[in-house]
Amino acid sequence: MAGNGKSLDGNGKQPVLVVVQMTGGNDFLNTLIPYTNPVYYDSRKTVGIPEGQALPIDDTLAFHPQAAPLKEMYEHGKVAVIQGIGYENSSRSHFRAMDIWHTCEPDKIGDEGWLGRAVRKLDPEKENVLTAVNFGRGLPRALSAPGVPVSSVGDLDNYGLMTGIEEKHRMEALDIFKEMYAPAIGSGPVMDYLSQTGMDVLKGADVLKQAPAKYSSEIEYADNSIAKSLRDVARVHLADLGTRVFYTNHGGYDNHANEYPDHPRLMTELSGAIMDFFQDLKQHDAGDNVVMLVFTEFGRRMKDNGSGTDHGSGGGAFLIGDPIQGGLYAEYPSIRPDDWLYGEDMRHTYDYRGLYATVLEQWLRIDSPEIVGGTYEQLSVLR
Amino acid sequence: MARPYALLRAGFPYVKTLGMRRVTNDPVDVALDDGMYYVLNRSGIIARLQWDDDGSWDVGDLKPIAGSGAEDGKFLWPATILIDRARTLWVSDENTHRITNITREGEFISKWGERGDGEGRFDGPAGMAFDSDENVYVSDSRNHRIQKYTKDGRFILQWGEFGSAEGQMNMPWGLAVDEMGSVYVADWRNDRVQKFTAEGQFLSAIGRPGSDDGEFNRPTGVAVDGHGDVYVADAGNDRVQLFSQEGRYVEKFIGDASLSKMARDYMLTNAGPLRQREMTSLEPQKRFRRPRSVRVDDQFRMFVTDMGSMRVQVYQKDAEPLTPDLILPPPRSPSLVTN
Amino acid sequence: MAAQDLSLTAHLMRRAGFGATRAELERLAEKPYEELVEDLLHPERFPEVERDLLDRYLSEPFATIPVSVGIWIYRMVNTKRPLEEKMTLFWHHVFATGFSKIQNVNAMVRQVESFRRHSLSNLRGILTALSKDPAMIFWLDNSENHRDEINENYGRELLELFSMGVGNYSEDDIKNCAKAFTGWTFAQPIPLYPQGEFPTEFEYRTDDHDDGVKTFLGETGQLDGSHVIDIIVRQSATARFVSRHLYNFFVADEAQVPAWSEAPPRDPAAIDALAKAFESSNGDIRSVMRVLFNSDFFKKARYGKVKSPAELVAGVIKLAGTHTEPNRGLEAVGVAAAAMGQSLYDPPTVEGWHTGREWIDGGALNERVNFAVDELDDVTRPGIRDIVRRIAAEGGSLAPGRLVEQCVELAGPVQVSGATREAMLRFAQAGGELSFESEDAAERSARRVARLLQFIVASREYQLA
Repeated sequence: MAGNGKSLDGNGKQPVLVVVQMTGGNDFLNTLIPYTNPVYYDSRKTVGIPEGQALPIDDTLAFHPQAAPLKEMYEHGKVAVIQGIGYENSSRSHFRAMDIWHTCEPDKIGDEGWLGRAVRKLDPEKENVLTAVNFGRGLPRALSAPGVPVSSVGDLDNYGLMTGIEEKHRMEALDIFKEMYAPAIGSGPVMDYLSQTGMDVLKGADVLKQAPAKYSSEIEYADNSIAKSLRDVARVHLADLGTRVFYTNHGGYDNHANEYPDHPRLMTELSGAIMDFFQDLKQHDAGDNVVMLVFTEFGRRMKDNGSGTDHGSGGGAFLIGDPIQGGLYAEYPSIRPDDWLYGEDMRHTYDYRGLYATVLEQWLRIDSPEIVGGTYEQLSVLR
Repeated sequence: MARPYALLRAGFPYVKTLGMRRVTNDPVDVALDDGMYYVLNRSGIIARLQWDDDGSWDVGDLKPIAGSGAEDGKFLWPATILIDRARTLWVSDENTHRITNITREGEFISKWGERGDGEGRFDGPAGMAFDSDENVYVSDSRNHRIQKYTKDGRFILQWGEFGSAEGQMNMPWGLAVDEMGSVYVADWRNDRVQKFTAEGQFLSAIGRPGSDDGEFNRPTGVAVDGHGDVYVADAGNDRVQLFSQEGRYVEKFIGDASLSKMARDYMLTNAGPLRQREMTSLEPQKRFRRPRSVRVDDQFRMFVTDMGSMRVQVYQKDAEPLTPDLILPPPRSPSLVTN
Repeated sequence: MAAQDLSLTAHLMRRAGFGATRAELERLAEKPYEELVEDLLHPERFPEVERDLLDRYLSEPFATIPVSVGIWIYRMVNTKRPLEEKMTLFWHHVFATGFSKIQNVNAMVRQVESFRRHSLSNLRGILTALSKDPAMIFWLDNSENHRDEINENYGRELLELFSMGVGNYSEDDIKNCAKAFTGWTFAQPIPLYPQGEFPTEFEYRTDDHDDGVKTFLGETGQLDGSHVIDIIVRQSATARFVSRHLYNFFVADEAQVPAWSEAPPRDPAAIDALAKAFESSNGDIRSVMRVLFNSDFFKKARYGKVKSPAELVAGVIKLAGTHTEPNRGLEAVGVAAAAMGQSLYDPPTVEGWHTGREWIDGGALNERVNFAVDELDDVTRPGIRDIVRRIAAEGGSLAPGRLVEQCVELAGPVQVSGATREAMLRFAQAGGELSFESEDAAERSARRVARLLQFIVASREYQLA
């Protein structure tokens, strides 16, 4: 079923995907903690979560103490943890690893993002400039594909052209802009294209402007970047502008040093923001068609380095939302020292492209092989 | 402390290395306290290192302080860090044109300075040094002059102008004051060190452009020890040079670093870099790369902020002060009879 | 000096460099055009960017990618050798190597420095330096190209993307080209931790080099990489392919590179002229550029080419008169270019950036317009002050039509369409005549001039060079 960017009737709302990127390599071992395993405590002498502090979900695994909201949602069956996610020969370079996640090309340099390709299928006629909206400056490679329009919003409350001009003069400036970009006969294909693009940008900004104006909520999001971003996602989603894919990121996970107190702070921010976001949607009765995918480019090393942890593999991802059948998926990577990769790293147990395929096929309902480059084992994670 | 008449220079061996990439990124200067070292990074972050256990730099009391920013207590382009007798820290910032005073825990105390070329204004305050009354000299780099202030920011005097003649300057940087009150200026773009009286009267100069002994390529930092020896961070030549109090070239340091404790711990938990270190020559890894400042403490230990290699190298001076009855006066001519 | 000459000079400086301030243009236009071209072709006549300042303020040798990008844009804006810098960008564009894989700032910066050093020299020297460049060797896996285990990646791209273009050689030629480059690798660099990056150097490993007899493009012998490069430079396909790249970069937008084997050039005669210059000089790039800049097809090709983000950013900065010394804002400028779709030091693939209208999409246009408008939003910027001063110097009061005329002239001159001119005129008329009689009036007038400049840089026409 191809999307047309517009909502269907009450029961048939279009599925919406919200992607949250944890930038820097989240320490999965300290997010979902094997709290009864002595190897964990041996390996994590400095950054380990002391026994008794983690939040158990069964007799082997426990959430990070600061991830209480996530644990609460997990207990309500809204959180699926995809354990041990990764790929062969996991790259330890942030840039390369992130590229691999974004383009589904572990073996060569890819130039198209998996979500860019998805958007091309969701809105083949480019009917809606807001089919995909990224919150942040510039475009993540995941969303970039030639000819696929994606809106990148740095600041939702001040989005659009010539935002640097003070408010009282800006309307006048935009009028002049509109006149300057008016299509004219015989000005040639490049000028025509520029006119069209300029008009599209004006239109997109005009539509997006409705979102803050329409929004009201009782939820008070915290004052941090991911809470702000997810509030922006909520505002645009609730404005019903036909957006199918939202993208945002939460930075700071590269905890080589200062993992304590940095990582606990990130857990607080992220899990609090996710909780607030879904409560916000729930209050507006707008959460049943939203799935959130939370991922990171890699996990971290088994042993800490006396202050933090270095780049590793064997990470974890999350799918969150009402449509999700909560629980643990794939296998927790073995933390037995004999099983360590290069004697220092957890082995992945599940290929990330299977998760993408799951989301594409079962949630967004589009074919996945040409997007993720092949066929991968999917999960039965949707209700 | 009175200056010795002369010295028996026994040696100046390498002692140890502090810091590493990520902890002391782009270190530009270091302030020496009792057992604690405040390494100022160009990013605005001040790392706090201990002599004995620099591996525990981020635990408890040793978390880094300050950071990048224009707000009070943070820095955009910090250049120099000093510690005063009350054991608070002073930092110059070439980007915000301010001198800032913070506690050793990083709490903001006060600031002064703003951009301009009049008295009491700065354009790129870089070097800083206290005199014995804790008045502070500042090299006002883009105004090509030295200014002297009280600690609370009251202007006292200034000297210098753009040029290359005696007493003129071209983007001065590092500063030092000796115990007699003389002021040494690393006259960066003139490739020399100038010495002035406390009031700014020109006394003498060391060096000229070049890479031979006693020559400089953009000297960045200068220090004077209790013997009157002058140390110059000769950044463009990747070395530190040592001169006697008369300005005679004595020796140069090119770097002899080993792994700091934290670097050793890091390497032992990283298999790939361990192998790569094993595959490569140690030679370049020991050397200074663009040393930014040199400091000497009262135990005659020399601290060099080895900016390019993101660490601080420490050396220990070993010298016996001599009185005139122990050493002949300087002769007029050399002698072949050396036994 | 006739206005036509100034407009031609401005065109030359936009294409051969990154634009010029009005004062620079007036000075440059005093020289005959051909002499100006010779100056551009001989960067060694002019001083280099002062490296000690970069070292002092931006710690150049040990910088991060954002800082390195900022430094590069600083060079584009402040260089006294504009063509050297433009050619450096050209080679980066053709020999696209990306930090995303290299992960070594020093190696990337040194590669680009090598392009700068070789910017206008012979293609033989350029390809030799390229083949010995550690970043390129690692990027295209020549470090994995062993005597007993060939990796064809570099051999293939050298022919397909860096010199001849598809259709001019066989698969066997590729294999033998790859064999000729076995053993061309680099020394293991010292690891990043704990003391930062160190440079690495080209290393030739005799024991890993296949010194057997090979046939490449009809020539047989114990060929190694340098023989292969000699043969490549002699091919007329190389002359045409490099000429087309130069045409696409300096004259007018062509189709994207992969289409070249099928789509004919826009201007076959132009390619013929450039290829002839290449062949008669045995691959001397300076000689080809001399023909290019002095040709009619170049002089006529005004405002027909979409600016790359780097050109747009550097051009706006020159107009605003900002960033004339190293400062912290440079990092943000690099981020701006990346947000417009050009991450310097990190092109998306070995094919480099797609050019022409593919530079523009909604997000990119938004970034371009906002960056340019923001950069000109402060009337105290030296570039705006200079233009205001020139307009005020006309004396008395200025009619709206004349005001628009002057702004368009002094900001470029920019060639604007009727719609753009009329929109600006409407703005100018709403404010009445421009006056500098009182301090208040001068202040108001300065703001109106700045606003008109903002409209100019926001216009469709300004997206074109």
